Amino acid sequence: MTENPTEEVLTLNNVEVVYDYVSLAIKGVSLAVPKGGMVALLGANGAGKSTTLKSISGLLAAERGEVRRGEVKFQDRNISGLMPQDRVKLGIAHVLEGRRVFEHLTPDENLIAASAVRSRHDAARNKDRVYSYFPRLFERRSSAAGYLSGGEQQMLAIGRALMTQPKLLMLDEPSLGLAPFLVAEIFQILSRINREEGLSVLLVEQNAIAALEIVSHGYLIESGRIVMHDTAEALKKNPDIQEFYLGGAENKNFRDIKHYRRRKRWLT
Amino acid sequence: MLFRQAGILHTNYAQDRALFPIPADRWMIGGLLLLAAAAPFYMSTLYLSSYMLPWLVWTAAALGLNLILGWAGQFHLGYAAVMGIGAYAAVHAQRNGVPWEIAIVLAGLTAAVIGSVFAFAALRVKGLYLALSTLALQFVMDWTISHVPAISGGTQATLQAPDIRILGQAVTSDAGLYYVALVWCVLVTTFMLNLRRTALGRALVAVREKDYAAAVIGVNSFYFKLVAFATSSFIAGVGGAILIGTFYHAVTPEQFSVDVSIQALAMVIVGGLGSIIGSYFGAGFILLMPGVMNTFISWLTAQFGFSLGIETLAHLPHALYGALIIGFLLIEPLGLGKIYGNIRDYLLVWPFGYVKK
Repeated sequence: MTENPTEEVLTLNNVEVVYDYVSLAIKGVSLAVPKGGMVALLGANGAGKSTTLKSISGLLAAERGEVRRGEVKFQDRNISGLMPQDRVKLGIAHVLEGRRVFEHLTPDENLIAASAVRSRHDAARNKDRVYSYFPRLFERRSSAAGYLSGGEQQMLAIGRALMTQPKLLMLDEPSLGLAPFLVAEIFQILSRINREEGLSVLLVEQNAIAALEIVSHGYLIESGRIVMHDTAEALKKNPDIQEFYLGGAENKNFRDIKHYRRRKRWLT
Repeated sequence: MLFRQAGILHTNYAQDRALFPIPADRWMIGGLLLLAAAAPFYMSTLYLSSYMLPWLVWTAAALGLNLILGWAGQFHLGYAAVMGIGAYAAVHAQRNGVPWEIAIVLAGLTAAVIGSVFAFAALRVKGLYLALSTLALQFVMDWTISHVPAISGGTQATLQAPDIRILGQAVTSDAGLYYVALVWCVLVTTFMLNLRRTALGRALVAVREKDYAAAVIGVNSFYFKLVAFATSSFIAGVGGAILIGTFYHAVTPEQFSVDVSIQALAMVIVGGLGSIIGSYFGAGFILLMPGVMNTFISWLTAQFGFSLGIETLAHLPHALYGALIIGFLLIEPLGLGKIYGNIRDYLLVWPFGYVKK
């Protein structure tokens, strides 16, 4: 991680999110995404991963949540008070968990719908670009999006985000419910986009094995706190990460394992 | 503080599943019940019979509408018509010599039967289409009541409602009528409070949240929508009969017209969907706020010595009342009940700002 703050496209400083006035979801999350970098946010269910993403894209209000403390800075600008649509204009794209494509529109229309914040000329170019990354979408461009397979819908959701010409792409569990070979395909395309266009990516994943293959850095979130931050290589070697997120070490003698279930807690 | 969760430890399931698990709630409900029961002794008859009584009757009615709108999540724009069915059924039954106690049950049953026969057809559509078809129920009922002389006693007719008789004893005093309304309101409230803890209540909520998700866990969504319509129609029917018996003392079709339906809907939405205390607040707000606003504006003009034209004086309270509704819904889209809930939550976790869930 670089020391120069201008090199970071997104920084979160001690962000605290409270739902429904009383329920604290994340407590003091700080993280940074370097310009052109690829960062993963890993954690178990309910750790606060999606809440963190929503605090960046501004979708908390719809779920009666609010950022109580801390600041979200995008390109050195505090964006805490902005509406979601204005954040999109600044260049933040959020690919929602569970795909959420416009089911009754075709992929083509889905993509055009996402070009509202850019000019018509850009829209045509962006669409070609999306189709070049996802040739499968081009093949199916005129059937209803609701009838696409899960993987194609995920590609469409990512493509739709790319239509807004983002500077930061946030993905919430793109591997959810997809076959392993499709996960590999989508992740390859993601790292290609990152490499070719210098697009910064913040990836939220449960599938830590796949995620750590393509990112440079990873954050580990547990119970609403960042508990670990390191390079992907170091995280992969960390014995705790191996046991709790990567499915454990192989060739383990089960007689040596303690009889109670070990659960790692880094804090509290 | 008043509400406190710390130190309240439940040691068995019965305690944990109590209607009011927090003692402060129990004390407050007990205190309010005592206050309500003693109301005739410290309130003037004006307040008792023209504010408290309609408030209680309409709260019970709003709770019935909340069952269908807030719990089962189905639109109902013809609620007043269903109340009207109950009112006419009760009046006709009483005129034919049926005792009052049986007449109001008949009123409820008639409303429930007509309501569910109608719902049987209407529930095949969802959302806005259901809203429209319930509106059709309202108009069909309006037309039927006013055009069938056997029901309304002829066009423009007003049917006198016989006195309420409980066990042969005529109830005519203001206090007596007030107690009838109070008992009915407490009954409906108890039913609704317990509904939340029953299989029926949970099934209704499942249907509300996503009817096909409810279907795949084995909840027959059509059946439960129908049950919700029938139950809410029963409450509406009895409520209509009690409204006529205790407040209007005579029944005309206009008392149950479409704007009354809208008013009932406003009570539920302003109070809060699916909130019981919200129905109390909502009914109180919709019924009493216009009067309060009127008094407030006259007080203002008297206090500051300026005079308003008669037109302005007539319309200003309504404009302010509308602005207040919008204002409250902007502050808290889930209604007055949720505002109360927020304050209560704040006190529950005080002195801390929030809890980790």
